[in-house]
Amino acid sequence: MNERTIIGGGGGFWGDQTMSPLKLLESADLDYLTIDYLAEVTMSIMHKQLNRNSEAGWATDLKDWLKLGGIGLLRSKNVKLVTNAGGANPHSCASMVLAAASEIGWNDCKVALVIGDDLGEKLSEIAASGAQFTHMYNPSLGSLLDHSSSVVSANAYLGAGAIGRSLERGADIVITGRVADASLIVGCMLHSNGWAKRAEEANLPLCGPIANWGAGNLKESLDIIAGWTVAGHLIECGAQVSGGNSTDWDDIGPLTDVGYPIAEIYPDGRCIITKPNESQGAVTSRTVAEQLLYEIGDPCAYITPDCIVDFSCILLEEIDKDRILVHGAKGIEQTATMKLSASHRDGWMVVSELVAPGPNARKRAENTDFVLRSRLKHLKGMEIHSEYLGDEALIPPALRSNTKNPSEIVIRWVATSMDKSELMEFSRAIAPLVLTGPAGICGYSARARPREILRFFPTLLDRNLVEPQVHIKMMHSWRHDLELRMPWSSDLFFIPLENMAHSEKNIRRSRFAEKILRRLDKAKECELTNE
Amino acid sequence: MNNISIKLSELVHGRSGDKGDKINIALICHKRQWLPLLESVITPELLAKWFKGWSEGPFEVFPVYGVGAVNCLIHNVLQGGGTVSKRIDAQGKAVGQVILGVEITIDSKLAKRVGFDPSLP
Repeated sequence: MNERTIIGGGGGFWGDQTMSPLKLLESADLDYLTIDYLAEVTMSIMHKQLNRNSEAGWATDLKDWLKLGGIGLLRSKNVKLVTNAGGANPHSCASMVLAAASEIGWNDCKVALVIGDDLGEKLSEIAASGAQFTHMYNPSLGSLLDHSSSVVSANAYLGAGAIGRSLERGADIVITGRVADASLIVGCMLHSNGWAKRAEEANLPLCGPIANWGAGNLKESLDIIAGWTVAGHLIECGAQVSGGNSTDWDDIGPLTDVGYPIAEIYPDGRCIITKPNESQGAVTSRTVAEQLLYEIGDPCAYITPDCIVDFSCILLEEIDKDRILVHGAKGIEQTATMKLSASHRDGWMVVSELVAPGPNARKRAENTDFVLRSRLKHLKGMEIHSEYLGDEALIPPALRSNTKNPSEIVIRWVATSMDKSELMEFSRAIAPLVLTGPAGICGYSARARPREILRFFPTLLDRNLVEPQVHIKMMHSWRHDLELRMPWSSDLFFIPLENMAHSEKNIRRSRFAEKILRRLDKAKECELTNE
Repeated sequence: MNNISIKLSELVHGRSGDKGDKINIALICHKRQWLPLLESVITPELLAKWFKGWSEGPFEVFPVYGVGAVNCLIHNVLQGGGTVSKRIDAQGKAVGQVILGVEITIDSKLAKRVGFDPSLP
């Protein structure tokens, strides 16, 4: 089994170019397409959407490109899709995928749901077993339980294990909730290299430790997982490794049609990062190095649910144009804890902007700010943050030249308060500045609407409190079709076929299912003859 | 000591981003062998000076030998994190590019020893 596995990275977050996965599918021959739709804050936004609408709370961009030919391409090119688009509502996401498959007549499409990451309902139960939920980075911020009445989301970052097993059980598409970004790719590798098969046959725990699934000794297996994780880390931010956000942007040429990345990953943990031929952008040792170190802490200990990776001796070699060989990652055993990504409501925020012209733009801006603050000083619960964009706002204060002579300035205010009505009053005070402030203030648009602040609260949980709850749910497009017609029978149709015969109850159920199927076929015949 | 002043961008390219309430700035030498020179300049003390007013620290600098880089980690710098920061660069995405424009002082002897020649990008 020395063959490489070809995995595409179709996007970096929910909000990235919607059609990039489709383009990548069209322009490359992939074994797997992975898309990371979740950033730190995405889960809390999705949970808010779910609270308003029981069908929402997942990355709806997935639907847009699947319906515009994506689902057909996955089928015709035999590419498996693995994505955490499920977010806060993997069930609804999978229903959409199955409906899209049914629409093109893909009746034996199998979608696996990986669930068990959502612990929002179980916090008190877990707390009862002794978990403290202390803030991961700053213990002085206390415990998540201090905010239990305002918690919006609490999801554990799951690893690659259940993805590998889903694929091994025959899934064409795997939809997950909060799986760690790089683990999407590692999951594919567990499948393509037979690790998941070995685990499945030996009936090992779904979530691992996946290092026990390898063929070699533990140390070798850990280095391999580390290499796969690095490949995943490199492509999970989409085009950021292939020319986007590169210091070399001016030399790379147009990024209009920037190619999304492809990782050719080897069983031994090495990989080649590349992009589709003919696409724009660039994959160089420089673009790869920038992405390698993107959003990491200690490079000797990059922690994922699957292992700890040592990046410090990774080497990058340019083996051809737009082809970078990556090797040298070292793996250390997984931590006993898992990261829980939670968020809680913490008041309100509103952003407004006005433009101050020159000459003396800075003086006009400061005067406008003074007038606004003076008019609102009775709002005791509100804090106002002012920035002067165009006058070194992006530069840390100690490094500013402080010449204060820009030709114009965007004044940007961010007001926060626990009391939304204070912020409504703040919003109403912006437009009047155009008529009642210094001369020439412009750029006013509509009254800004306050939005709720969701404070991210990461914490660590004992792995054993999370992993036993993780499970895979297989869904089949033909059953989904039935379910749509007969919602009352939904439970019945989600029994995995292979489990159906295992109990008396299920035998009865499956007979019942057959009966319904026959009736449905009859009904279909009638429909056809009547047309 | 014979010091010369250069722009940081002559020595490195870079990228920055957020993690919780931290910003990480990766500074990658244009040539791997320049790393000792970079390490001699970029220290937690220098970061403390640069980020005064935005963060009280801690500040950490990790070498990455394979790719010839340092990873700078600035703690408690995003007013609580990317989702609550009021600054326009709430996720620290711009600061890595901004830093490249800063003037630094390097030891010319060490520069010579690692083969650093600012005229060759």
